Amino acid sequence: MMVQRLTRMPRIFTILLAILLMAGSDAGASKYKRSIENVVIPDVVLVNQQGEKVRLKSLLESDQPVLVDFIYATCTTICPILSAGFANFQRELGPETKNARLVSITIDPENDTPAAMKEYLERYQAQPGWDFLTGSRQDVDRVMKAFNAYFRSKMDHQPLSFIRSQEDGKWIRLYGLMSSSDLMKEFQQRGGK
Amino acid sequence: MMHSSQTFTAFMTKVAIVHVAVLLLLVGASRSYGAADQQALSAEETYKLGERMYREGILPSGEPMQAFVSGDVPVSGTSFTCVSCHLRSGLGSIEGEVSTPPANGRILYLPREPYIKGYEHVPSYHNYAVYFPTRPAYTDDTLAELITSGVDPAGRSVIKAMPIYDLNDQDMAILIAYLKTLSAQPSPGVSDSEIKFATVIVEGTDPVAVASMLAPLEFGIARKNSLTTASSANDRVARMGYNMLGPDLLQKKFSLTRWVLKGPSSTWRSQLDAYYQAEPVFALLGGISAGDWEPVHRFCEENQIPDLLPIVDYPVISDHDWYTLYFSRGVRQEGESAARYLHGMYDLIKDRAIVQVSRDSREGRALADGFRATWADTGHPAAIDIVLKEGEQFSQQRLQQIITELKPAALIVWDDGAALEAFAGLPDMADRPGVILASGTFVGKALWTIPEQLRGLLSFTYPYRLPQDDIRFDALALKVLPGKKTSDYDQKIIRQSYITNELLGKALMDMRGEYYRDFFFDTIGMMPDAYYPLYERVGFGPGQRYASKGCFIVQLGKGENPQLERRSEWVTR
Ligand code: HEC
Repeated sequence: MMVQRLTRMPRIFTILLAILLMAGSDAGASKYKRSIENVVIPDVVLVNQQGEKVRLKSLLESDQPVLVDFIYATCTTICPILSAGFANFQRELGPETKNARLVSITIDPENDTPAAMKEYLERYQAQPGWDFLTGSRQDVDRVMKAFNAYFRSKMDHQPLSFIRSQEDGKWIRLYGLMSSSDLMKEFQQRGGK
Repeated sequence: MMHSSQTFTAFMTKVAIVHVAVLLLLVGASRSYGAADQQALSAEETYKLGERMYREGILPSGEPMQAFVSGDVPVSGTSFTCVSCHLRSGLGSIEGEVSTPPANGRILYLPREPYIKGYEHVPSYHNYAVYFPTRPAYTDDTLAELITSGVDPAGRSVIKAMPIYDLNDQDMAILIAYLKTLSAQPSPGVSDSEIKFATVIVEGTDPVAVASMLAPLEFGIARKNSLTTASSANDRVARMGYNMLGPDLLQKKFSLTRWVLKGPSSTWRSQLDAYYQAEPVFALLGGISAGDWEPVHRFCEENQIPDLLPIVDYPVISDHDWYTLYFSRGVRQEGESAARYLHGMYDLIKDRAIVQVSRDSREGRALADGFRATWADTGHPAAIDIVLKEGEQFSQQRLQQIITELKPAALIVWDDGAALEAFAGLPDMADRPGVILASGTFVGKALWTIPEQLRGLLSFTYPYRLPQDDIRFDALALKVLPGKKTSDYDQKIIRQSYITNELLGKALMDMRGEYYRDFFFDTIGMMPDAYYPLYERVGFGPGQRYASKGCFIVQLGKGENPQLERRSEWVTR
């Protein structure tokens, strides 16, 4: 694999250098804000990428750990990074993927039809266990408000992820574009462990 | 090729162990990304390959590009690529607190100052530069380094939000050559003193409709031009204009030419080509046709000319076309929303029949097609289709026959107001369908004449804000018709064109002097959803092409001066 041609190496070297330099500063390190929240999930019925109705409460308050984020299919910068994080999270869990439920909720329900959401998940090679939900504007607004993640317009979007511990039902709220290792670390530490 | 499941750390460790010794020997080696590296490819081929990397994340080899985001998350170029963040024009995006800077050669090869040159003192200017530290100008080498290692020429790491890419030298050269073409030459139709627009009018369109489309646009342009004229004579006006529009937009006059299309639509293309040749415009504003629009849509696509919000019932429906922004998916959208609405109450319908009666006219077919497509998407077996031929009246007998023979749980009737007469006996009919749906726009004025006893039985798709709620926008609509009687105009079209005028002004002000056609639509794509007349919500989102995407289901209320009453939330397709 990889470096077949010598001419590429100097650049690879710069990557190494960058990593070394970064260790000493926080320039590239992913900084994010973390808090613990009580979230009262509204009793709404949303629709997933298969067009199936999903009762959000039952989906989220399960005996599996749950990760939630708010995205939309045509979003720039924030969603690509959040979704790459979810996709990689599933890859890293590997066969254990079924032990964690990933739920992306659209903040652009007018545009994100089941077909658009399905296409989006395929683009990120999502595995079973990662659902993308849409619904009426009113229901989606209620969900965003419950998570203290209300965006008046999709263009006010912020990078937010949430992790629920099945043990105490508390949610960890994570604000920022996170690295994969930080997301995994937060996942493993959920429930105060 | 790098396997995507490999973690960044593993990748780096392997690279380090195997190659550190060799790397050290090569540090001094210099590289070049100039044209010399690509002798084998024509400029056109290089451009196409670069565009494919930038827009689709596919390498010249046909493999997906490989990237890492947030430092350690591997991702394939087919999940997202440069265009997802830097947008089609390469001039970047702003969303919430996350800003993405330009990635086009012209701007990269200049040092970045905290302000955009020439706009230091323009308060209204949207200034991406404040979000980023200064940096020196890029060179081909430092640009390649940024893309592969995430370190900018000031030595700063950008890997928190910008992916790093695994590219070989040749592919890098192709990509950089493409970045140099992005938003490089100002688009046609723009000079120091003018921006030219045109609007396409299909001959034979109702003159009131045409006047209603033109009035708000012409008002906006006249107002802008009088500000320009006044500011050259009056310092205070000049200062105000400068603060609002910046030096560059302030001095440019706008013009709007009418391109009238005559004869059959098969001849429009050559007329459009001739108009364009005589006067290359920056963009088309609005436009109007009661029927066909496809040739205009194609013309815009092929010449890469944006058309902002033509007033048409039959827009071209496409997931990938770029150059026309529509108000909605047109007549068809009501059929789509009807299917979505019935899907939502499917528990009540279950295995019983659904019958769709449609007029064999353009309008009837568009509605029926929309319904059929969305109904199939939602996974249901096809409805029973009944087509009304020209001259064939939808009668009471026909209705009775459908109910007796098919006992539908839901009946959809895509026909004009005359069809409502078929329902006169409905209250007394046995086995009445639980839902009867028709199109509020196709039925037209007859909607307001439905007898009291039928009002609770007939529901309609209605793709606008309800009239009683839209009254609060009357004053706005009046503003664009100074000294004129609003009743002389089509209320719906005045409102639509009002929106076009607003979006045009906002977009040009947000474009910070970068008059590139792709950036025009990138800019509109990044605008927050707004509350405008007529539509519940107008919002694009990057790459989205239909501003309003749903319908209400309504019924006519009780009483002598009934209002429309909502029977659903906003139903999208
Ligand atoms: C996930 C979103 C995203 C993708 C995909 C992306 N970029 Fe970026 N890019 C950014 C952001 C955000 C920055 C600014 C980072 C910073 O300065 O901290 C950036 C910075 C840059 C810069 C440096 C700009 C400057 O003025 O220093 C260049 C050049 C660039 N990107 C080119 C590219 C190219 C080429 C691609 C595709 C191969 C690409 N980007 C893909 C988000 C992205």
